[in-house]
Amino acid sequence: MCTRSMGRSVTLVLGTAVALGSSGFAEAASQRIEKHFPVNGRPVVVIQNVANGRIEVKSSKNPEVVVVANETSSKVDFAMEQAGDRVDVTASILDASAQPLDLETSLQLTVPEETELQLKTENGLIYVEQVMGDMTLESIAGDIHLKEVSGYIIVKTTGGSLVCTQCAGKLDFNSVGGGAQILQPALTNVNLRTTTGNILFDGDFIRTGLYSMKSGKGLVEVRFSGNDSFDLKAQTATGTVDNQAAAFLKPDSHGTVGRLGSRFKGLFGTFGAGLAKVELSTYSGTIRILRRDVAYPSH
Amino acid sequence: MQCRDIEEVLEQDGLALLPESARAHLARCPHCQDYIADLETIVSAAHELPAEVEPPAGLWMALRAQLEREGIIKEPTADAKEKPASWWDGFGSFFRSRAMATVTVGALIAAAAIVELRQPRELPLPPEVVATVKQLNEQEIDVRNMHLAGTSPVDDALEQNLKEIDDFIADCERHLQGAPQDDLAREYLYSAYQQKAELLAAMLDRGRSVN
Repeated sequence: MCTRSMGRSVTLVLGTAVALGSSGFAEAASQRIEKHFPVNGRPVVVIQNVANGRIEVKSSKNPEVVVVANETSSKVDFAMEQAGDRVDVTASILDASAQPLDLETSLQLTVPEETELQLKTENGLIYVEQVMGDMTLESIAGDIHLKEVSGYIIVKTTGGSLVCTQCAGKLDFNSVGGGAQILQPALTNVNLRTTTGNILFDGDFIRTGLYSMKSGKGLVEVRFSGNDSFDLKAQTATGTVDNQAAAFLKPDSHGTVGRLGSRFKGLFGTFGAGLAKVELSTYSGTIRILRRDVAYPSH
Repeated sequence: MQCRDIEEVLEQDGLALLPESARAHLARCPHCQDYIADLETIVSAAHELPAEVEPPAGLWMALRAQLEREGIIKEPTADAKEKPASWWDGFGSFFRSRAMATVTVGALIAAAAIVELRQPRELPLPPEVVATVKQLNEQEIDVRNMHLAGTSPVDDALEQNLKEIDDFIADCERHLQGAPQDDLAREYLYSAYQQKAELLAAMLDRGRSVN
């Protein structure tokens, strides 16, 4: 009798433990939400992600916006709405005491090729590939990677860096600590500004294009091609200008250095016919100018 | 005439005797106007110095030692040894050369002017910028109090970036105290103020949404 009742008790305890364990497991397990929003023409997608995770946007030929959200806990809620061709996705934290791990969510979007994007996140990567349209991308600590995108691209980060590969159109980048790498671009207007990050521009300057790259304390490195045509101004307050392409630049053909007087620290130069305008500056960092098709000793 | 020509004219003829061509250039060149203004400041500071500057004793000692090393003052001869004379007498005879006396006094005035200019000064900023900076500093105190409990990676990143901006601002301000005409440094300083304002606003927003 005693043995039987003890056996029941053990079963009860074990059963309760299994039930509790499974409910705990269910809470920790990842959830997947997928929604389709049919659109006409050129949609506008707005994402406000306060959670911690990756946002990935790719394009397709289909006239719809597909949003897939993966979350590791139920402590984050996604609100998705459509108003005409505008799709809003907003993540919000349900439990203010949640740990960063609980707030990890990722968003995958598939959008028409011509789509306008407004993405805002705090942490985690923003990745956009093959989208044509104006985009505003904001992040605090997350990096932003763009590949084959075109339009008026505005990127703003606090500490995150930008890697822009084969981007076209106009690019504005502003960051406190993040750097910017612009690779194989077809950009006609570039405005890069960072306080402590590094800047690398490796590609062609489009004729009649305007390029401004400024870093407070970092390295500003430009690698131009032999087919380029640009006027160059490189200026620093207390840093250095490392011109490794001096042999290819016609020095100060406009006589500007003389007009600026002895206070100017930097250089002016012209390559080709001087069609594009390139302005590089750093407060205390280094400006390095290289020609891409020339082999230099590694830095 | 160009900026470098102005510098040469000033070196040769001073401020008072600028030729017509230099005056014409000066009328349309803000950089040279700034340069002249700097020189006038130095000259007026020199004029405000007391007419008779009493140099520290150590200066004369050092000068004498240097002059002896260079052979300009010789060791006293045997005759002179018989009639002991102070080092000041020797230096006084040296000072009887009017040209040398003029050069030495000129050097002293210039040195005093440099010392005066190197004194720490208020950063020359427009009043509206000074007011904004004051507001930013007050806001920063609020943000720091608000974020004391923040432990997330985003909070850490924001704190780190705020520190970087503060360090950069301090660096620019130090530089501008010594070189107030550096427009590039001023541009970076103003840009850093703007970034700091945006950063503090983001931190305040985040603090409000989390707390």
